[in-house]
Amino acid sequence: MPTLLPTPFKSITPGLGAVTALAICFTPLPLLAQGQPSEQGNPEQEEAPSRAPIPLVPGEPTWNSFHGQLNAQKYSPLDQINTDNVGELEKVWEVHTGDVADGSGELPATVWSATPVFANDTLYIGTPFYRILALDPGSGEEKWSFDTQSSLEALTQPALKNRGVAYWEADDPVAGEPCQKIIYMGTMDAQLFAVDADSGEQCADFADNGVLDVNQWNDTNDRWPLSLLQPPTVVGDHLVLGWAGMDWAYEQAPPGTVYSINARTGEREWTFQALSDEMRDQSGTANVWTHMSADEERGLVYLPVSSPSPNYWGGNRTEEVPLGTSTTALDIETGEVVWSRQWVHHDIWDYDINAAPTLMDITVDGEEIPALIQATKMGFLFVVNRETGEDVWPIEERPVPSGDGSVEGEVYAPTQPFPTKPEPLLDQSEKPNVWALADAVSFGECSALWDDLHYEGMYTPPTTQGEGTLGFPISAGGVQWGGVAFDPESQTAIVNTSHIVQYIKLYNREDYDKADSGSGNESGFAPQEGAPYGMRLEVALNRLGMPCWEPPFGELVALDMTSGDIKWRRPVGASQQYGFFMPESWGSPTIGGPAVTAGNIIFIGASMDAKVRAYSLETGEELWSDQTEAPSVSNPAVYEYNGRQYVAFVSGGNTILKDQVGDQIAVYALPE
Amino acid sequence: MSPSLSSRPGAFVLLIASLAGLAIALYAYFTPLTGVTGTLGALVAIVACLALAVMALLLFKVRGRGASIVLRILILMGLAGTSFAGMLLHQWWISAAMVVGLIGLIVDMVRATHHARLTHT
Repeated sequence: MPTLLPTPFKSITPGLGAVTALAICFTPLPLLAQGQPSEQGNPEQEEAPSRAPIPLVPGEPTWNSFHGQLNAQKYSPLDQINTDNVGELEKVWEVHTGDVADGSGELPATVWSATPVFANDTLYIGTPFYRILALDPGSGEEKWSFDTQSSLEALTQPALKNRGVAYWEADDPVAGEPCQKIIYMGTMDAQLFAVDADSGEQCADFADNGVLDVNQWNDTNDRWPLSLLQPPTVVGDHLVLGWAGMDWAYEQAPPGTVYSINARTGEREWTFQALSDEMRDQSGTANVWTHMSADEERGLVYLPVSSPSPNYWGGNRTEEVPLGTSTTALDIETGEVVWSRQWVHHDIWDYDINAAPTLMDITVDGEEIPALIQATKMGFLFVVNRETGEDVWPIEERPVPSGDGSVEGEVYAPTQPFPTKPEPLLDQSEKPNVWALADAVSFGECSALWDDLHYEGMYTPPTTQGEGTLGFPISAGGVQWGGVAFDPESQTAIVNTSHIVQYIKLYNREDYDKADSGSGNESGFAPQEGAPYGMRLEVALNRLGMPCWEPPFGELVALDMTSGDIKWRRPVGASQQYGFFMPESWGSPTIGGPAVTAGNIIFIGASMDAKVRAYSLETGEELWSDQTEAPSVSNPAVYEYNGRQYVAFVSGGNTILKDQVGDQIAVYALPE
Repeated sequence: MSPSLSSRPGAFVLLIASLAGLAIALYAYFTPLTGVTGTLGALVAIVACLALAVMALLLFKVRGRGASIVLRILILMGLAGTSFAGMLLHQWWISAAMVVGLIGLIVDMVRATHHARLTHT
């Protein structure tokens, strides 16, 4: 529940707790003396933010945040680049930041998923070495850079990660005063930096000389720092800030908290807690580690909330955890819950809600509905009224498998929510077929694995038996944090989805200690220390590294949001192993999201082959592609500068997808 | 062209095609943004083209019929495999070079057969 902090602030109620899902870091912090908000006013008395309606079809091109716009549509009304000329796109500039490591040396590998932010006639970007770059949007020339001097240690994540920066500007800027426009970026060790957008100088009036130590609020199960890999969501003068942690390591972990921070001063305004006080101690996480979206007109911020800790055993949290694995709408001024929809009851699959819901006005049966669409790892797309949380198309509670009795202390939800429309992005109702080619070249290895995996359909619980439980998908797919893009003109939603089979096995403590042979990035063994079971999660590959399930491995899907029907779907990108490209009809798993433009173009990188592509919004036909340095595991940015439309991709790579890292910003435009 | 080379134009074409393939594979491996920079696949193509070039040189030296047949079979397999690898690497010019190499191999085999017939008549 949200916690309203009285004035002056005091420590959060004792008893925080929890764990999160993917990521982050820790640096032994010099506990920075926070400028305590003795003058902090009651949040409810604060000046209300300017509330601009979300236009049905925006007129002004905006790409000043992680998903382009606060509504997460990733839509640009620019049409200089369109289906007729996109084939002529050329790279007009590129920058290599130098902030890259492949993990072979002293530094951990880098994972770079930043969206370039276009604001203040500048392109801003954060790097996995926790530097901020301000670049000329037309040439890539550096205007300034700021180095946080953050420790380059993988404190919570297996890699150095960064998802970019956030931008804020005052409604009433004071001429000659610094920090009327601010860039914010967090670090693995839980420090939030605020620097002047014009000069790159730290903002002296923000927290402690421009640095907010968020870890000062890490007071329950503080096994690791509250890593700030995702930039804050800026709503008016509020910075809404979640954090990431270390998955699967402990039964108890820091509990999910979201903070509203004053954009000017760094003072904490309110705190949202997803877990009850009791649950915060005994469990943890249910945090928000990805971006959020907001409807300023309605004063609501939408939180994609992750699952409680530990991720694959729920014996310590048998009570209801209604806000876990949910979309939760908060009042931006108070942090109070306005409505919440839980998408997985008693989540024991790490089905974190991992993407900001995309806000959209859609016309269904002649009625205009203020809606949102929530993409999920399960491949379900939930569409609800964003004012009330009520179904747009029916979402049914259906019976799901109960366990096989092998897991001590576990309880199972008897039903789970299933959307009736749109249809699931992948068919989880049956055990997926073994891919004959992968099976043949591995002399039946895939078939043997399949025979040893338990599966009774979606939401089959983890087991200690055989090789474990098959999941299609589990933590790796279908939709990742890139979320859904939306073209408001045609009311078409665009989403990329991965088709990945994984399998999860629980080990009792004795067996785990014998079996543990290490882990990779989001795979291998993890102890869930404190719980009676450790776990192993693997992607179902044969010895040659080939997927054991049938292609396609990733798709791009267009949905008619007036009917909920699929307009078209097609394999996206190409898989690549050892440099060998697989046929494009097989598609690729994807990390990173799409962008849509009024030129009827979809831009997306995201695929293993490190290419960036343009597709026709109308037909899904591939119209253009270019090779980049590493998979572009980020959202593209579309912007206009001096009358010319640009498309920017960050090619940073992610070892979950492929062992290939990069430090390239590649920007494209039509020839002059 | 030396007398030896001029007497085996097919082998000479094969040698040139292999070296061309090698150059393309080296470019693909070392140049940024080829899509296969620094990959195992591109390295395999480099080694395969090098092996083909060596085998093309051996064609000039080998005299025994059995050894020639074995060598040509190995070259054929090398050409096919490298061509396939070139396609999977999206290095189409490697595949094209292997097609040229195949033409060279065929010419070499035809001329060898023709020469053998002349010798026996």
